[in-house]
This record gives sequence, structure tokens and C-alpha cells, in this order.
Amino acid sequence: MKYSKVALVISWGIIVACLLWIHPWKGADAHVKLGMQFTGGIDMMVAFKGNVHQEDVRNALYAGGVQQAGVVAYQDKPGVAMFSIKVKARKGQDEKDSSTQIKQITAALRSLDAKAASDHRLDLNTESVGAIVDTWMKANPLGIQGDETALRLAYEPYVDKVIKAREKASPMSDYNQLPSDLPGALRASLEKDYRLGNLTILKNESFSPSISGEWTWKTLSAVGWALVAILVYVLFRFTLSFSVGGIVALVHDVLMALGLFVLFGFEFSVPVVASFLILIGYSMADTIVVFDRIRENSHKPEYRRVDITKLVDDSINQTLSRTILTSMSVLFVALCLFIWGGHALRDLAFPLVVGVLTGTYSSIFIASPVVVFLDHQFGGKEKLKQHA
Amino acid sequence: MTKRSLWRLIFTTLICGACAYFFVPLSKVRLGLDLKGGVHFELEVQGQEALEADLRDTRDRLLDRLHEKGFPEAVARLEGLTLKASGVPAERQAEAQKVLGTFSGYDTVFSGDTLVMTQKSGYQKSLKDDANKRAQQIIENRINQFGVAEPEITPTGAEGNRIVVELPGVGDAERERIKGLLTTPGRLEQRLVAKQDTTNGIGWRTREEAMAHFAGQLPPGTELLPQPLSEREARREGKAFQTPAAGQSEPIRSWVLVEEKVYVDGADITKADPTVNPQTDQYEISYVLNKKGADDFYNLSGIASEENRRIAVVLDRKVVSVLWCKEKIPGGAVRITGQFSKEEADDFALKLKSGAMRASMKFLEERAMGPSLGADSIASGIRGALIGFLTVIGFMVFYYRWSGVNAVVALTVNIIVMLGLMGSFHAVITLPGIAGFALTVGMAVDANILIFERIREELANGKSVSGAIQTGFDRVFWTIVDSHVTQLVSAILLFIFGTGPVKGFAVTLTVGVTASLFTSIYISRFIYDWILERHPGAKSLSI
Repeated sequence: MKYSKVALVISWGIIVACLLWIHPWKGADAHVKLGMQFTGGIDMMVAFKGNVHQEDVRNALYAGGVQQAGVVAYQDKPGVAMFSIKVKARKGQDEKDSSTQIKQITAALRSLDAKAASDHRLDLNTESVGAIVDTWMKANPLGIQGDETALRLAYEPYVDKVIKAREKASPMSDYNQLPSDLPGALRASLEKDYRLGNLTILKNESFSPSISGEWTWKTLSAVGWALVAILVYVLFRFTLSFSVGGIVALVHDVLMALGLFVLFGFEFSVPVVASFLILIGYSMADTIVVFDRIRENSHKPEYRRVDITKLVDDSINQTLSRTILTSMSVLFVALCLFIWGGHALRDLAFPLVVGVLTGTYSSIFIASPVVVFLDHQFGGKEKLKQHA
Repeated sequence: MTKRSLWRLIFTTLICGACAYFFVPLSKVRLGLDLKGGVHFELEVQGQEALEADLRDTRDRLLDRLHEKGFPEAVARLEGLTLKASGVPAERQAEAQKVLGTFSGYDTVFSGDTLVMTQKSGYQKSLKDDANKRAQQIIENRINQFGVAEPEITPTGAEGNRIVVELPGVGDAERERIKGLLTTPGRLEQRLVAKQDTTNGIGWRTREEAMAHFAGQLPPGTELLPQPLSEREARREGKAFQTPAAGQSEPIRSWVLVEEKVYVDGADITKADPTVNPQTDQYEISYVLNKKGADDFYNLSGIASEENRRIAVVLDRKVVSVLWCKEKIPGGAVRITGQFSKEEADDFALKLKSGAMRASMKFLEERAMGPSLGADSIASGIRGALIGFLTVIGFMVFYYRWSGVNAVVALTVNIIVMLGLMGSFHAVITLPGIAGFALTVGMAVDANILIFERIREELANGKSVSGAIQTGFDRVFWTIVDSHVTQLVSAILLFIFGTGPVKGFAVTLTVGVTASLFTSIYISRFIYDWILERHPGAKSLSI
């Protein structure tokens, strides 16, 4: 309790500093990276085999008429360059524009394929299942007798195999990567009619601006309702001052995690907001354990005559080892996800890592001091004990 | 072993067995689109178009009716969502209103010498509802015939005007084609090409050129419709097919002036198939009309052959093909020739077969996920989760010795129960779900730590082993319930407000919290009781 004032000043200081830096009131100029789900736009992930650099992709897109694309490079597998390409939707843009934009982007990316200019065959790495079936049905390299259905039935299983091999290689760079049990005639036919491009589209998402506003509203209301529901539950199980203390701690944790999340340049997406909700749940659970001990101790005769500060201090100390141990175990998991979970989970794990740290800290240094403060101001310990 | 312990053991084993049933073999576990790969669309039915389509139908019927009833001068036109009819002499307005009154769902008023008809709001709602229902049904038909395994088509949205379509295993390469299949209403009309343009071939190259020809005012009862240039056609003609830049529309081959009146409606089609013409080796679409359609087509072909005019086949307000007609054609079997590629012919026939939607679709959200990305995500997600899990286990055993092993058993049961619960209500595992899974494991340890710390405390206070375990569990019970309920609250809210992958996350968490309640309170207690039973007078506890 000694340090509670210092702690309050420091942590709210950090929060205010983060807010000042983010300046969310500036609307579009705020330092917040929003995912395409919230702004509307195109979010693609592509992989190139071979030597393709971030600058190449940027230049190709620029030359292809896509000026405002954000390009980020990833290197997950050796020999494969992965890029995330994001294009924010303009105001009033409709889905037809995004469709043409996607086509433009793909065309621009194809131009990075050195062989494409001299080789006009279809690209085995991007052509659809249907195209390959059609090719084989037309050439009929296995000499299947029968009508169209018979041909289709005969060739489809092989196409599945080719597609599986393609997924595994992503993208294929050598015909030797085709499945080894593929009949030679089929393979020859592929080698004749197809070339191997170096591009695969791993992910291709587009969100219309009209739905993104809805997403934002829906997500914000989820967070709001979660706060209200927890407030009501704690109110029901404890007293008002605990409830307020809990919520203050909660708001503190969320703001802190938000601030740091933005500060480190992560991007908000719907799953990230979900992990913020988890943070709310976790932080509250952590606080409740301390509250519970305070309540239990308040019934004990030895705390009847002492000041609430001592009651709270002792309760925190009794639960301290548990608080630290639990937080460590959750922190381990969150850290493991952050480090080894791949970049898709990284954005999601970061608020959790921060949340576990601040959640632990806030249940000790924020929530309980608020309870003490409120009690000193409005209640007196008798009242607390009655209700607790 | 006492009878009670035996029963508890049997109970626990039964639960684990039942849970295992739902996820063994592992292929029973359903993976979300983000892990499995596939396309996800969220579409909105453009109800406004249904209203407009109904107005156009009404206009055609109204004119027919007025001409029948002896108003040869009557003209009708659409202005936004109102239908205006003029050319009715003032003294016969009452008579005309009687005709108009037969159109249910419309309010009719006179404004000067024009009749103004508007749709009643109840009628508009029923039109929109009908459009939604039809759209869903037609999407189902088209997807089923397209041959995608395990498609999911679910209506959403407050007004029921949204449809979520999930097609696992379909990649980016098929996306545009499926999109086209879902988005276009498939409304086929056969109209007459307007008389005026016989001098000018089929049409004009640009809209401006056509408008200039008519000095900015199209002849009454006609409209200009585009005839698009397909990629296939462009290639055939040896031109480079340029992907249109953003903001530009697809390339147009020509603009054709057609009559507004629809002679044959696509709703009368009973059968449609793509065929290959053995003489020209080109893809065609043949379809069969029902009795009414056949009669209509007989009339249409009659007019066309007598007046030496051409018939325009219009699909979704675009001219697909322009046909000559040399004689009246009875029987209602029609063949459309055009410059179709195989895929185009397939899709065209599919649209005709599945019927016409009342309105087109707007894409709110579309996602295509390559399966290789999913496989990578699974691999690294599971790796991260596994390392986290092992760290926690190692830590527990190191710190609490044999009691730690107890916690590990509880955790393992926890995981089995989680998987089983998820399997039992066919929950879908998504990437955030994997994270949620790992996280719940971390949090489930929380309950065990609470209990163990309390037992340690009680032991330190000088309680006997059995007494310490007893009080430890009792004291902590409500704390565990409280902390779990708050987590449950946020998980349930996530489920209510979230969509897609987030829902998966919420499900995992809800299930995880529930499972953790069961294992920490029941399983851990059971293990301790069992140990105490075997060593009744134990003086120390490995904790």
C-alpha cells in the first residue's frame, strides 16, 4: 500500500503519454494501425519463390497503377519471400472497384515473374482445378474412352494430387515436385501446356467499406458490454467499492495494453480485439482472487479492529505467491505463442503478454488501493465488512 | 480402493472416454477456413433492385392492359421508384383508374394528367423478403451444381438480407468465377432490337455515339444496353485483353438499342444445358421453355420474322447475343449461340437452370485463404501452443513435485474434455482458437495453483495433511468459481458479438473455462483423496 500512490502516478503517466502519442482524437491522422476489417480494403498475402525484394514488389505495384499499397516482407521459409499487401479502400468505393483492384494487383505481381514475358503458357501454380481438368479432358493423354462425365471422373483424382503437391511446394519450382505416382503421360501434358510461375497467392481478402463501420461498432460494443457485465457480477458478489476498484484496474489494463500495442506498431484486427477481451477476463479473474482474500480476512476476528489498509496489505501478501505463479504460467504460454506461434498469432499474443504483466500489477497496485480509497472516503470498515 | 473412489474413477474414465469419442480420430475435428483454406463471402441482397424489377414488370403489364382496354395512346415510364402513366384523356381517367386498381400492392393517384403509381410499404417488404429467400435458395442451387464439397450457406443480418457463403477447399483461382456466379441475378429476357438501328449494324461503339445519333433523346419505349466483350472473344479476335483500371468498367463491344418490353422471361425456363454445336465447334446454350414461355416465344419469333427484326437475348441487363429469326418457332426449345468459352457456357446454363434472383448481390466481405498458409499457421500455432504447454507442465512438476503431477493429470483431462466438448457440438477450430486453447491451459493451472498455495498455507499453520487438503479445497472453491465466471462472461460476450474466427476463439475459451472448473475442483480433489486413502496416516505431502 506504501507504493500505491507512486504506482498510480507512474502507470497512469504511461497511459497518458501513450494516449498523447497516439492522439486518437485526430481521427484519420491518429497513430493507430487499423486492419482492413475496420477500414475496408484489400488484404493480400503472396509468396514468391526466388529472389524478390520488397522494393521490387512496391515498384511493380506502382507501375501497375496501385499507388497506395502497403507492402511488408516476411521471411518464414528459406527460399520463399512472403509479402503482405494492403490497400485501404477509398471513400465511396464499391465492391466492383475492389474486384478490379485485385485484378490489377495480381497482374502487377505476375509481371515480377521473369519467365512470364517469354512464355505464354498457363501458370500451373495459379491455374484453377477446372482449368487443369479441362486441359486434360481436351488432350486426353490417357486415352480414356467415354463421354465427358467419364473423362472428368478419370482425371479429377489426378488433379487433386497435383493441387496437393502444389500446396506443399507453394509455389512449385520444378516439375519434379509433381507427385511421383502421376502417370507419365499426364506429366508430359502438364510440362507441355503449363509453365511454372514463381507466385502463389496465399491469402486474398477484401472488405467493403460499408461493413467495416459495422465491425467497429460491433467490436466496441462487445468490449463495452463485457465491462458492464463484469461490473454487475462483482457488484453482486462483493460491494460497490470492489466493483469500482475492479473496473478501474480493468480500464487501466486495457488502456495500458492498447497504448503499448499501438506504440509498438501492431495492427488492430478483429482477432486482436478478441484477445483484448480475453485480457479483460484474465485481469479481472486475477483481481478477484485478491478481493476474495480481502473478503475472507475481513471476517476474521484479528482484523476487526485494524484499519482497512492493513487488511488489504495482508491479503495481498498472502496471495502474492499465487498471483506471481499463475501470472508466470500464463505469461509463459503467451510468450511461447508470441515467439513460436508464427506471425499470424503474434499480433494476437502481444496484448496477452502485456495484459498478463499489467493485469498482475494492477490487481496489486491499482484495484486494491482504489477499494481502500473509496472505503476511506465513503464507507468505513464496518460497512465493508457487512457487505463483503 | 473404496467403493466411492471406484465410482469416481469409473465416472472420470467414462467422461474421458465419451470426450475422446468426439475427437478420435483427429480427422473428426473441424478446421476453420483460415486453417483449411477456402473462400468466405458475405453478401447483401440489394432489395432495392427487387423493387425496381417489380416496377418494370408492372410497367409492361400495365401498358398491355391499358392498350387492351382501349387506351392506345398510353405511355408509361419509371421515375425512381414511381411509375408514371400518361396519354390517358382526362374524361376517361376514372375508367383508367379502374384498370390500375387491379394491381394489388400499389397506391394510385392522379397528378394532373399523369397517373402515379407507388408501391405500398407492406408490399415492398414482402418483395424484399421474397428476394432474400429466393437469393438464398438460388445460391444453394448454383453452389451445389458447381460441385463444392461441404458448402455452408447461412442467412444473417438484422433484416435477413445477408448471406454468408463458406466454401472450403476452393482457392483464389476459382474466386472470380464463383463470385460472378453468386453475384449476378441470372435474369434472362428476350426483347426485340429496336427498329431504328438497322442502318448501323448491331449497335454503336460507345454510349455517347449512340446518344449523339438520337440527339440525346432515345425513342420512347427503348433503352440502350451494353454488349460486353468477353476475354475469350478478345483473344479470338487477336486483341490484347486489358484488365480495366480501377474505376473503369469492363470493355464493351457495342451498345444495342432494344425495346423496353420483355417478351420472354427467364422464369419460364424449365431446362438449360451447355452444348457444343458440331458444325461450328462452338459452345452454345440450349433451353426449354414451359407452355407460357413457348407461347410468348412463338409470338416474339412471329414479330421478328415478319418485321425482319432481330431478337436480343439479355442477361442481367447486358446483351448476350443478338439473333436473327427467319420464321415463327413453336415448341419453346431455344438455342443461344454466342462467343462463349466452355466455362462461360457452363455458368450461363447454371444461372438459367437455377432461376433468376430478384436482385443482385453486393459483396461486403470476401476472403480467400490458400491451404498452404493454413498448414503453416497450424504448424507454427501448434508448435507455440505445445512449447507453452510443456513449459507449464515442467514448471508445475518442478515447483510442486508430486502435487505438480496431480496438476498435470488434471490438465491432461482438461484438454481431453475440451476437445470432446468442442467435438460434440461441432465447433470449428480456427487460428485464434489454437491460441485460445493454449491460453486456457495456462489459465487452468491458475485453479491448481490457488489450491496448492492454500494447502501449503494450511500445512504451514500446522494442520494435518488431510485437514489441509480439506480446508484448502473448501476455502478456494468460491474464489475459483468467481474468477472462472468473470472469464466466462467475457468469452460469452465474444461469442455473441464476434463473427468468424473470433467465434472460434470464444468457443474454445468458453469450453476451456468450463472444463477447467470441472478438472480443478473434481479431478484434483479425487487424486488427493485417492492418495490419502492409500496412505491414511500420511504425515507429509509432496507439495
